Amino acid sequence: MTQSLIQGQNLSKVYGTATGPLVALDDVSFHIEEGEFISLVGPSGCGKSTLLSILGGLEAKTEGTLVVGGKHHDAPRADIGMMFQTSVLFPWRSIRENVRLPGLILGLDKRQQAQRSEELLDMVGLNGFGDRYPGELSGGMRQRVGLARLLAHDPRMLLMDEPFGALDEFTRETMNLELLRIWEKTRKTVIFVTHNIGEAVFLSDRVFVMTPRPGRLEGIVEIDLPRPRTTAMMRDPRYSELVFEIRRMLGVDH
Amino acid sequence: MTMAHIEPVALNPTALPRDPSGPSAARKATVAAFIEAERRNAKRQVLINRALAAGFGVFVIAVWAIATMGGFVHALIIPTPMDTFWATGRVMSADYFWPNAWVTLQEIFWGFLIGALAGVILGIGVAMFGPVRATLYPYLVALQAPPKIVLAPIFITWFGFDMASKIAISVVMCFFPMFLNTLTGLSSVDPNAVKLMRSLTASRWQTFRYLLLPNALPIMMAGVKLCWTLAVLGVIVGEFVGASAGIGYLIYAMNFQLDIAGVFSLIILLSLFTLVIYNLIEAFEARIIFWSQL
Repeated sequence: MTQSLIQGQNLSKVYGTATGPLVALDDVSFHIEEGEFISLVGPSGCGKSTLLSILGGLEAKTEGTLVVGGKHHDAPRADIGMMFQTSVLFPWRSIRENVRLPGLILGLDKRQQAQRSEELLDMVGLNGFGDRYPGELSGGMRQRVGLARLLAHDPRMLLMDEPFGALDEFTRETMNLELLRIWEKTRKTVIFVTHNIGEAVFLSDRVFVMTPRPGRLEGIVEIDLPRPRTTAMMRDPRYSELVFEIRRMLGVDH
Repeated sequence: MTMAHIEPVALNPTALPRDPSGPSAARKATVAAFIEAERRNAKRQVLINRALAAGFGVFVIAVWAIATMGGFVHALIIPTPMDTFWATGRVMSADYFWPNAWVTLQEIFWGFLIGALAGVILGIGVAMFGPVRATLYPYLVALQAPPKIVLAPIFITWFGFDMASKIAISVVMCFFPMFLNTLTGLSSVDPNAVKLMRSLTASRWQTFRYLLLPNALPIMMAGVKLCWTLAVLGVIVGEFVGASAGIGYLIYAMNFQLDIAGVFSLIILLSLFTLVIYNLIEAFEARIIFWSQL
């Protein structure tokens, strides 16, 4: 049997607080294969963002083992790209310069990065906006730039923490389709945090359902909807079944 | 259990009809006229605002003129606007003016430069290096507690009646806001931006250079402006306490000789100078933090 890209064994995260230890993540085990699209879904406090931070190497786990690409993982890696709820563009850098930031920091070839940033801006539909500044763009456009920057240094794994959570419903849907289109093309491993069940089902190969206090992995739901996904599938009875299966696991159906 | 049969409802959404030829010429003209009217209104508002500001200035000078020329206030206490105007010419053409102004100018320049630089350097040190923070921060804050004017007589004793003592007072006056604003600027950063830099495996230097420093610039520039006015204040206070040259020294001497119009003219000249440099700093600020207006 070949080894999974990401293997988590009995991962826990405990914070020491004034009122005693707080268990943010309790004994979570899973494996993620190369090229999979995974969503972590659950209410606030379920540890999904904590798990993502640990996967990104930004936070240390308290217990357990985490192996990424065959190596023990406890620090940020250049082959893991992260995206957050806010676009975190630097307002003093033009759009083009923002997309080139990862290449600049990692010391990648300038000419190649220059070309790649133009291609990426093209891909996210922002051709001609390279010289603009973030302050001149709408929220949706800024997240597109964030998406282009995420891919700039061609990371193998994309960790996305509610990247479209702050966008309106229409823009969010467009961005989801955009993300799927890019994923189909690049087949990177995506781990996507959301509290939107429909979004998780629509995007993912598997959904990790997480429950709070303490943060636990309640179960994993295979999404067997065909690919490529289209918005028409939201009318598919199977889509509703999966959504309701996850709702049941989260205990939000009464 | 069988599902109840529900009669399918024919969905028949109707989009509202649109004229394929687009808006008519009449409508376009209405829209153009509307935009033009809005533009005119905005222009008029700008003129009104300027007139209000100018009007208030004229009003203040008029009250000043009536109070002094009408004999309500003695000329020894407040000179008339005309006397002040003539005194300005008299002071500026006097042979003692420029050498004294030059002394004050140099003191302000060095006080501002040294104070601001020290503030920036220590601000960066305290923000970026834990041991530096642990060692120095309590003392830097404690030093802020006494009003720094109390140091003026001591500095005169230490550094003498010449420029050095004025520069020293100016430095201690203007150091702290620059230090604090640098520290605040470097510390008030979006935690997600820091996470982004970490996820890209950025070094401390890269995080400073590409994120923390540019992010701090707006708050640092506010510190520079504060620093500038305090540097001027420090020098003038120093010259009041003990000096043999400088604008503060002249003000003190003229006040002693009851040349109140001369004192007024010096105050006005000093204010104008401070304001001109302040505006230059603001113009510079607008250039380097251009993104705040986007």
